[in-house]
Amino acid sequence: MSGPFRLDGGAIERGRTLAFRFDGRRLTGRPGDTLASALLANGVRLVARSFKYHRPRGVFSAGSEEPNALVELRSGAYREPNTRATVAELFDGLEATSQNYLGSLRHDLLAVNDLLAPFLSAGFYYKTFMWPRSFWERVYEPAIRASAGLGRLSGEADPDSYDKGFLHCDLLIVGAGPAGLAAALEAGRSGARVILADEDFLMGGRLNAESHEVNGRPGAAWAADAVRELASVHSVRLMPRTTVIGAYDHGVYGALERRTDHLAAARGKPRQILWRLYTRRAILCAGASERPIAFGGNDRPGIMLAGAVRAYANRFAVGTGRRVGVFTNNDDGWRTAGDLSAKGVPIAAVIDVRDGEPAAAVADARIRMNSRVVTTWGRHGLRGITLATGERIALDCLAVAGGWNPNVHLTCHHGGRPVWRDAIASFVPGDRLPGGMSVAGAADGCLTTAGALADGHRAAVAALGELGLAAAAGEPPVASDEATGAASFWHVRESRGRAWLDLQNDVTVKDVELAHREGFRSVELLKRYTTLGMATDQGRTANVLALAIMAGLTGRTIQETGTTAFRPPYTPVPIAAFAGRSRGKDFRPTRLTPSHDWAEGQGAVFVDAGMWLRAQWFPRSGETHWRQSVDREVTDTRGSVGICDVTTLGKIDIQGRDAAEFLNRIYANGFAKLAVGKVRYGLMLREDGIAYDDGTTARLAEHHFVMTTTTANAVLVFRNMEFARQCLWPGLDVHLISVTEQWAQYAVAGPNSRRLLEKIVDPEHDISNEAFPFMACAEISVCGGTPARLFRISFSGELAYELAVAARYGEALMEVLLAAGEEFDAVAYGTEALGVMRIEKGHAAGNELNGQTTARMLGMQRMVSKRKDCIGNVLSERPEMNRDDGMELMGFKPLGSGDELTAGAHLLALDAPADTVNDEGWISSVAYSPTLETSIGLGFVRQGHARIGETLRAWDALQGSDVRVEIVSPHFHDPDGELLRA
Amino acid sequence: MPDWKLSARAPLDGHERNIGTVAVAEVTDLALVSAAVPRGGDEAFAAALAGGFGATRPVTGDSTLGNRHAARVLGMQPDQVFILFAPPDPDRPAGTVAAALASAAYVTDQSDSWVILRMTGAGVRTALERICPLDLDDRVFPLHRVARTAMEHLSVIVLRDGADSFLLMSPRSSARSFRHAVELSLEHVSE
Repeated sequence: MSGPFRLDGGAIERGRTLAFRFDGRRLTGRPGDTLASALLANGVRLVARSFKYHRPRGVFSAGSEEPNALVELRSGAYREPNTRATVAELFDGLEATSQNYLGSLRHDLLAVNDLLAPFLSAGFYYKTFMWPRSFWERVYEPAIRASAGLGRLSGEADPDSYDKGFLHCDLLIVGAGPAGLAAALEAGRSGARVILADEDFLMGGRLNAESHEVNGRPGAAWAADAVRELASVHSVRLMPRTTVIGAYDHGVYGALERRTDHLAAARGKPRQILWRLYTRRAILCAGASERPIAFGGNDRPGIMLAGAVRAYANRFAVGTGRRVGVFTNNDDGWRTAGDLSAKGVPIAAVIDVRDGEPAAAVADARIRMNSRVVTTWGRHGLRGITLATGERIALDCLAVAGGWNPNVHLTCHHGGRPVWRDAIASFVPGDRLPGGMSVAGAADGCLTTAGALADGHRAAVAALGELGLAAAAGEPPVASDEATGAASFWHVRESRGRAWLDLQNDVTVKDVELAHREGFRSVELLKRYTTLGMATDQGRTANVLALAIMAGLTGRTIQETGTTAFRPPYTPVPIAAFAGRSRGKDFRPTRLTPSHDWAEGQGAVFVDAGMWLRAQWFPRSGETHWRQSVDREVTDTRGSVGICDVTTLGKIDIQGRDAAEFLNRIYANGFAKLAVGKVRYGLMLREDGIAYDDGTTARLAEHHFVMTTTTANAVLVFRNMEFARQCLWPGLDVHLISVTEQWAQYAVAGPNSRRLLEKIVDPEHDISNEAFPFMACAEISVCGGTPARLFRISFSGELAYELAVAARYGEALMEVLLAAGEEFDAVAYGTEALGVMRIEKGHAAGNELNGQTTARMLGMQRMVSKRKDCIGNVLSERPEMNRDDGMELMGFKPLGSGDELTAGAHLLALDAPADTVNDEGWISSVAYSPTLETSIGLGFVRQGHARIGETLRAWDALQGSDVRVEIVSPHFHDPDGELLRA
Repeated sequence: MPDWKLSARAPLDGHERNIGTVAVAEVTDLALVSAAVPRGGDEAFAAALAGGFGATRPVTGDSTLGNRHAARVLGMQPDQVFILFAPPDPDRPAGTVAAALASAAYVTDQSDSWVILRMTGAGVRTALERICPLDLDDRVFPLHRVARTAMEHLSVIVLRDGADSFLLMSPRSSARSFRHAVELSLEHVSE
């Protein structure tokens, strides 16, 4: 038993029963059911409360256009609000609850809103909550927010996983109804790579919902055969449960595939996959959505779209009522009566707005031509209708057939607008389709089965031709052309009660009339003023009806009235699907240096530097504050020797006959005359003359250099140099390749650094001060033959080297350096100590090269060679950048003992108010110097060198600091550079 | 003579794992060296490649097999190839290439710049659909084809070396993130 309303036939599996709960009530359904069909089979008609007035609502449609039957699925953290019951595939154990009520679904306390409806017209909020102004944020908005919205989020992290992916095809077919299947069969047989995507779990579209025949067989059976054939074709990919949500540039489409929504548990697999489909051609076979007719009380549970009533009867074997009435303006209504009669469902009445003879005989039914439904009754569900003549007819389901709207949405995603076609009283796709797209079947306004089949076939043949593929020369499937006579009839004017247009947003005909009276006549304003067409269904059953009514009020045609823009996504997509797997640590990759594991073993504290993790300091037992570790690392390095992992610096291998000339143009300072075996510090300017990166470049051979860049700019510098090489100076013979990853590099700094290195550098390499002076470099070997590169450069200001080995040896080298350095009490130091020492030495780093500073500000104006051209040279000569009273990089010391400087502090005259007018500069980098035993800073101040000894305020409102500082030389430590040359 | 020796460590310590029908294995016995062609030196380069490795020069996006050192030459960009080979001296692969090509190319060792994973098995393309934007269909990406792409924000070089086998190279420093991306894809698609 799967419900008292179950009929014979249909595409459900009768051998199995699925148990599910709705609002705690235990019910059963069958495989092949949606939640909506299972509820209807059980006679559950009241499933939701409406958004604004909390009106009782039932299932209205049988597809993704559903405005009413929004429910919450599952429980706990898995709870998903606002799910359309009409597309939720039933599974054993499904838990569903209704939403948007206070109390119970049947006795919703917020239904009081319905009594207040006369006051809650369109624009109610705008007009009502005007004063007092201060009430808006504290009173009105919280109250409105509390009662607004539909379902509830769980408030917990989504426990499901999601994924993304990339698919490629010759031909994408959107929709697997008659047109889509006919197109796919033709394309599949031709050998084209085809993706056939359909939002339903059962392919076949309306063929499953109607009683038409194709090739002399029931349409649903023909569709099943077609799907079976397509599944056997290697080059065809069938994607059921997949909604194509948007058409993007260059034939790219977005699609959401629901992988586990129909299963009780995902078992660790992604619930949904957001696909990017790369297509050469696409055929939109998205079908059409039925629209209702506006009449009084047309929102009660039991009032449904006629096509949905047929779908429930034919596909799901569910009778939607005991006594069904039909209200129609076209021949579909008569087909509904026929299909239901054939299934044994009693038809109470057929009411056709058209004059003339009944289109068919319907047994035992009252047939009323040229007649209209003016109102309905039944509190929690339809119990009867009243006609314009006053005739009352008792029934529990009214199938409303108002005509069909082609699903043109994707045709508009590149800015195209649909055009009105009088013959079917609907919008059809306009001329401006996304590139590579064609439209077939009902989506193109071809509303008969025979027409759709032929149209799909035709579109496939045309697309294959454009792709240069031979069509299979098959014949299109054949079906009879059913009658589709229709009238343009939108609204029963005699109705005095509220006639609903947008069931999801509770917008009535009167709201549209009010919008018209108040001047909101453009469709875009109508939408925003009345909320028509917003929310999960985007007005798929409402828009055209409302446009027709607005057109009637303004005296314009519907074409002139126009539509609002359709934008992706076609149906709602969970935000989690857009995130895919990029959550938590999967948000982005992590880069680790070769000795990362070693540093972790030492208890290093790491810092994110871009994607890199760098060791900040290495705490030792007994150290309770980071400053203790950093102070020790600085003191021990300056006292003896320290080792720091500098692998993250960008490294670029530069080779070619013109490599030296290339560098000469890239760097502000000269490199052409750099001797082989030497290193030089270099500064790079942007085109506008601002300094942007610095580093050292070593000349390993006549035509071979290796450059280092800052960690942060490694990619940018490489990219800029590739641009220069390929686009600015393509005539130069120069070749670049990144070797950042290739070499593990360690700074070895301190007075004992040479003695330490002498223990591991192979003896054939002389690294004495004479043989290997400051700024020397060489390719050497260490530890008995391992190739290495040694650079005598210093960031700390000490006698120092950087030693590089192939990355595979990095971890071993770190361990060997510390073991060999044991006799010198060698320490590992991290980026904090590195920073302290470079500030003590007065070296600029990222805080100083902040995109606002020039070589002149950095005290490097003499480096910008005027004897050659380089990037940024010309614009660095602009007068404003060369003012005598410009900013200069200086050192700063607090006057008060114990005072600490803060980076970002503004420099002001002692008695000046803290405002921008008096701003004289800023502190860019600060550190506690264990060497000087005081807080120190680097920063920029006007005419700094002329003002050494002057006292200023360092004022930092953000960090609440205001201290007196003295301007000093930026070189706190060894200003003459004797140590690094020792 | 120094008292210390350095021991090498592969980016993923020679990682191997089977997930579903696909085997993932880190390749650690091949060297990778880039060779840039001097401007105007195309003919000399082609001759040197033929002489040094017995390989023809591939166009960008293709790869060729040589007859020395089991070398595969990957066409990476108009003036650059990568040579993937079994190095006689793993510490000096650039030296081997420089000796073979003499002055016909500028060589740079890339062996430690990349982690190399080989993915083999039926289902490999189904897994790669989740992270690889490239079309790996037989007709578009046949055997021996090579391309650069990005997967999960990581730069990747893809080489097809079998009907159901791909070599994937990605920067060494993010090797663990890359392995995770590949294996998560396999876990997502495995039965």
